[in-house]
Formats: sequence, C-alpha cells, structure tokens
Amino acid sequence: MAELTTTKLDPDNHLLLDQPLLRLPNELLRKNLKTAQRHIEQTNKNVTKDVQAAVGQQPDQALASLEATLAKAQNLKRKLEQLHAEEQSLQRQQRLRIEHLQQLHEIPSLADVKYDTWSHTRLDRLLVDYLLRQGYTQSARELAAEKNINDLVDVDVFEDCGRIEKSLLDGRTQECLSWCSENKQALKKINSNLELELRLQQFIELARSGDVKNQVDAIVHARKHLAGGQDTEFGLRAGGLLAHPPDTLVEPYRMMYSPERYIHLARQFVKTHHELFSLPSQPLLHIALSAGLSALKTPSCHSEYALQANANTGAPVCPICSTELNELARNVPYAHHTKSYMEDDPVVLPNGRVFGRERLKRLNEKLGTDPGKIKDPTDMETEWDERELKKVYIS
Amino acid sequence: MDNIFAAHKQQETKGNLSKTIDSVQSLIDLLQTTRDHVAADPSMSALHLAKLQTPVKQSFTKLEEDLKEVNKGMNAYQKALKDKFKTASLPTSTNEVLNEKEDLVNRAIAMHLLREGKFNVARTFVKEVSAKAPPVSEDSEETIDVDMETGQPLNNTRSWIEDLADADDVMIDGMEAVADGELERSGLQKKFTDMYHILDSLRNQHNLEPAIEWARQHSFELENRGSNLEFELARLKFVELYTTEDIMADDPFAGPLRALEYARETFPAFNNRYARETSSLLGSLAFSPELGTSPYKPFFHNSSSFEEASASFTREFCGMLGLSSQSPLYTAVTAGGIALPILEKVERVMAQARGQWTSVNELPVETPLPPGFAFHSIFVCPVSKEQATDANPPMMLPCGHVIARESLDMHSKGKSRMKCPYCPNESHPREAKRVYI
Ligand SMILES: [Zn+2]
Ligand SMILES: [Zn+2]
Repeated sequence: MAELTTTKLDPDNHLLLDQPLLRLPNELLRKNLKTAQRHIEQTNKNVTKDVQAAVGQQPDQALASLEATLAKAQNLKRKLEQLHAEEQSLQRQQRLRIEHLQQLHEIPSLADVKYDTWSHTRLDRLLVDYLLRQGYTQSARELAAEKNINDLVDVDVFEDCGRIEKSLLDGRTQECLSWCSENKQALKKINSNLELELRLQQFIELARSGDVKNQVDAIVHARKHLAGGQDTEFGLRAGGLLAHPPDTLVEPYRMMYSPERYIHLARQFVKTHHELFSLPSQPLLHIALSAGLSALKTPSCHSEYALQANANTGAPVCPICSTELNELARNVPYAHHTKSYMEDDPVVLPNGRVFGRERLKRLNEKLGTDPGKIKDPTDMETEWDERELKKVYIS
Repeated sequence: MDNIFAAHKQQETKGNLSKTIDSVQSLIDLLQTTRDHVAADPSMSALHLAKLQTPVKQSFTKLEEDLKEVNKGMNAYQKALKDKFKTASLPTSTNEVLNEKEDLVNRAIAMHLLREGKFNVARTFVKEVSAKAPPVSEDSEETIDVDMETGQPLNNTRSWIEDLADADDVMIDGMEAVADGELERSGLQKKFTDMYHILDSLRNQHNLEPAIEWARQHSFELENRGSNLEFELARLKFVELYTTEDIMADDPFAGPLRALEYARETFPAFNNRYARETSSLLGSLAFSPELGTSPYKPFFHNSSSFEEASASFTREFCGMLGLSSQSPLYTAVTAGGIALPILEKVERVMAQARGQWTSVNELPVETPLPPGFAFHSIFVCPVSKEQATDANPPMMLPCGHVIARESLDMHSKGKSRMKCPYCPNESHPREAKRVYI
C-alpha cells in the first residue's frame, strides 16, 4: 500500500528545481573565459604582426613599434585582470550556491525544522526569480537585499536581459546586436539565427524608408550580412522585400514590415538568452506552485458544502481554501488518494456533519454547550441531545 | 555533491585566469627587455628583434594553454553537475495553468509579503504591478458579478492593488475611478488593509494600541478560539508603561505607577484565565528598579516579544477570516518541491502517451506529503476506490457504513432492499444519508 504521508528527504530528487542555481555561474564563467580568449587572440594578431614588421624597420621606428606592442600587452593584462576579478566573484557565488544546496543534504527529514528554514530560503529565491522575469526588478532587488540572498539570485543577469528586451520592444536592434557579438561563439554552438533576424530587421528598416540612397544601403547591407550565411532563406526574403512597398498586403512581406516583428524579436531574444545561460524558460515559481497546488488540493477545497474551518473550530486553515490561492487552484487537478483519512472515532451529527468524537467534545466544551447537549461548531443554530450522535464507519 | 564541490575547488585553485595574467606579464617583461636593448644599442636593433620572434610566439602558445586549463576546469564542473542531476528537464506542462493567471499569482505574492512583514517590498511590488498593469478604463460601466455566498465581487482581480496601494496612501492611476470604493470594496479586502495597519504599528513601530483595540473588539471570538492574544498584548503594554522613562516626571516610580494603574483597569477582566500571570506581573513592582536581577527579568528583557505578538496576531487575525496562518504560498511551494520529483516522472511517462497531468481532474499518482500538510479529511469510497466529490458524495447507510453515491446506485440498481457491502445489514437505498466529511 502506498504511503499517505512521507517525511523522507531525498536530496538528489529534491533538487530538481535547483539545477539552474549551479549552472548559471558556470555559464557566466564560460562567457568570461570566451571574452578573455577574444582579447588574447586579438592581441596575438596585432603583436605578432608588429613584431614581425619591426624586424625590417630603422632602429627609431622599431623602438616606436616595440613601445606600441608593449602598450598592447599591458592593455591585455589590464583587461585580463578585470576578467579575473569578475571570475573570482563568480566563483565565490558558485561556492555559496553549492554550500546552500549542500545544507539540504545534511537535513535528516522533511519534518526537521532546518528543512523549514531551507524551504523558506528557496521560496525567497523563487520569488526573486519570478519578480525578475516579470520585470518587477526593484521589488526583486529589495526582497533579495532584505532576505540577504543576493548571491543566490541573478538580478544582474535578468536586468541585462530585460534591458535588451525592452530596447527591441522600443524598435532598436543595436543593443541586441552587440549582445550577439559578445556571445558569438555560444550562439553558433546552439545554431541560433537571432543575429540574422536582427540583420534582416535592419534591412527592413532601410527598405521601409523608400528613399533611393537607403535602398542602395539596404542592398549593401543584405550582401554583407544576409547573403551567403548558413541560411539562404534570409537572402531570398530580403530580396523579395525590396520589390514590395511598406504598405503591401502581400505575405510574408506585410508581416515583415509590421511593427509586431519587434515583439517576435524580443521574444526570440529572451528565449535564446535563457537557453544560452541554462535558465529555465518559465518562472520556477510556476513549476513549484502548480505542483504544490495539486498535491495539496482536495475535492473539498472548492466544494459547495466544504466544512468551513471557521472561527469556532480553530483548526488550521487549508492553504488552498485560503483566499490567496483558492481561485488560482480552481482549475488544477486535485491530489490522488487511495485511502480515507479521518480523525479517530468519527461520529455523525443529525445534520450529516462528521467529526472526530474527541474534538467535537472539546469544541463543545469551549463553546459552553450544556452538558448532555451537542452543537455543530460550524453552524451553531441547532442544539441536539448528545445521544443523537451516531458512530460512522469509514474504511 | 562532493564531486561538484571537488570540481569547484579545482576551479578555484587552478581553473582561473591568474596564471594567464602571469604569462602576459612574462610577455610584457620580454618586450620591455627587448625595447631597452634596442634603446641602449640601436645598432643591434635588427638582431634583438630577430631574437624576439620565437619567444613572442611561444608566449602566446603558453597563453592558449593557460586558457585550456581554465576550460578544462569548467568542463569538469559541468560533468559533475551532469552526473548529479541526471534528469535535466523540468516539468513544462505547468506553463498554461499559471501563465494566464499572473494577476492572481501577484496577489498571492503581495499577501505573502505582507504576512511576512516585508512592508517595504510589498509597497514597491504594488507600485511596480500597478505601473505595468493596463490602466482601469474610466468609462466602462461593467457590472461586477457578485458571488452569492460571500457577497464578494468575482473577476475583480485588480482591486487588491487598489486596496494595498490605498493602505499605503499610494495614489495610483485610476484611483479616482474607484474613489468611492469603500462601498465596492469587499469585506475581506477591507480587513486585509486593517491587518496591514495593525501589523505595521505593532511590528515596525512597537505601537500596541491598534492591536489592543482590535483584540478588545474581538475578545469573545478570541476566547472561543482559545487564544491568549489579548492577554499577551496587555502584558506587553504593562511592560511598556513600566519601563518607559518619562523625562517630565522626576519621580523614579512614574513608570511602575502608570503600569499599576493600567493593571488595575485592565487585568480584572483576565482574572479567570490568567490569575497567576497577572499577580506575578504585579509582583514585579516590588523589584523596581532592580528588574534585571529579579525573577521577572524574562518579561521585561525579551527583545523578540513584539515579533512573537505579531506572529500571534497574524495567526488569530487570519484564522478568523478563514485564512491559513502559515503563508499558503510557502506551504504550496514547499509541497510542490516535495511532489515535483514524482510529477516529473509522471510527466515523462504521460508525454509518451501524449497526455498532460494538468489537464485531468485528479493527479494520476499519489504525492505523499509530510503530516503537517493534511488539512481536510479525505473520503475514498471503499467500493469504487474513488474520492468523494460534490457530484459523487459520501452516503451513510443505516448501519453506519459509508460508500460513495455512485457505488450505492450501482449496488442497489433495480432493488428495493440492498445488503450493505460491509456488514449483514439490509436497508432501503432511500435510507442512505448524505454525510459531510
Ligand atoms: Zn482546502
Ligand atoms: Zn454496513
């Protein structure tokens, strides 16, 4: 028979929600490394060229060249030092996150008070993640600061993402294009065509203006960025567009000219961004919450006849019945049970309400019901003789 | 976890750019030396430069190797993660359920923040939500559907923003449109505003008055619930009067005397239940001003007492409104974390059958939770093994055995008398009685 309750804490399974926590710092470290690599390659190219050229130069010219390469090498060192500082901060964050998840492995059971504390911190993390994703950045910052969990959340990453998303929604491609060039290799690796889409958008803007010079620029732009790429379809679409004015009704050109295209671009950017940094595509809060709503929900939670745990019974109120979540839980499935779960020694009142005998007695004492009489604590209207209580058998 | 930690350690000690920086420094030194040689002896310039070519090349090869080392560290860490988290995917079928209900999720979050006493964050959040939400159109005279049972407006989800904003005197767009909202405001939301004020005074300003006033008004209900909130607050008030220094009065006993006066006014009402506590509080008067060494010290030097009173107030206030005392959001997210591994497996299995667990009435598997997470009695029909619902409610036979209505109908089909499936008793199907579990 399946267990009705569990206090078993299986940390490995439990951390399903927490993988992104450990993945993101590593992705950011990787990005940091790629930037370092780019700087080194660039300097390599320049320095090697200069040093080679200097061999055949006059001494004073050679001296100047050497000084220039020296400056380049020093510049590289400065940049690497900055990246190293960033790297150290990311590694520190990574360690704190590992330690946070490690804590869970040291908690013996779900009933332990330490689990409660841990779970509160996780809720705070999920809330900050949600707030950031929905664009409530200031709230996210304040909550993270008040709860002292700055190292367990990614405010800067999401803020950056939000800034670029907004620039696209405002009709600007520049910010997103420079993001693409910063992440060029990683984007290539996941076969992203985000940059092509952005280049196509620039082309569309040139074509839209209708003036001849811009039309020529458009063609130059298309040759440079859209033709010969991995995806020939972009060149074809661009070519076709030039043949159609901005007010065309012909598809797909009408859609291409539409300002709505920026909304698609923004969406595609966010999706690509999250994929690149191993961030889940939806708020973790949604995932945890909808699982929790179902696991807690019973048919009683939206029942017309549900026993209202009102003031007189003093019983803990069900979170799904509580105002905060009741409407939210209306359309989720309720939990599966294979066994009845009831207070000990259940009795039924003449009005059909079932209570545990002991609790019913205690409640009536507190309500000051006369000895030998009994009331339904959820509905004080009627008073019955205690003998009208009937034992009920629930298997 | 140990492997992840080891991989991380490796990264911290070896897999970083510090070596690379050293290598760049060597390159700088190399260039510097050559430059100095050329400057000192220009005639040998060509020779020095020729000698420089290979070391420069080697320097960059070294730099690339350094980077490879860093990269190796990263790959090792990633592999450790992969080994630890074998299932990389998170359930996705939750998408639609909550995505369409952003407003309800936001409301739950706002209420959660208030419960936790994070008033500043709640205030910022309400501001940000109302700035983002589309403005309330002024000329729409839509009739608001009212729930017949509770009298609360349905589909009036935005009003929580106005209430919370109002609670903080934040003016938001469209407020004028609902300026006479006092009438429209549902009872619950009004009360929620009250809770906000009382908690803010109590927890943040250590002002007991609003809480005491509320407790006095609900004295009867509180006592029925077996709550001692009212006494807890009175005791705090006593302590406050006792210890507040009045700079105008030079009588060193001014505080204790005010406390005594308060006690005479207030404590008689508590005498039945709290006789021992009240007399012990008054006993403290004998120790003034050496309270610190008196047996009453714990009453007077308890820094968390306002925190405790706030928690106790929240519990009672919410309980009376039919709100749970632990934050529902916390309970639900915690339950979700516990149930998720099971649901993730279900989703994987159901995905193959092109099903989704969120599109059915009942979860396909059990999701056991810790004991504190059961709030309702559950009735599973012993015949059909189905959970009772409003459509298929529990029915009690005259012998006291309970089965679900559908099972009863099935069992008694075409018969005027039926035998109970669990005992020899026979009865008429009409004698079965609906029970509320
Ligand atoms: Zn419920
Ligand atoms: Zn029977």
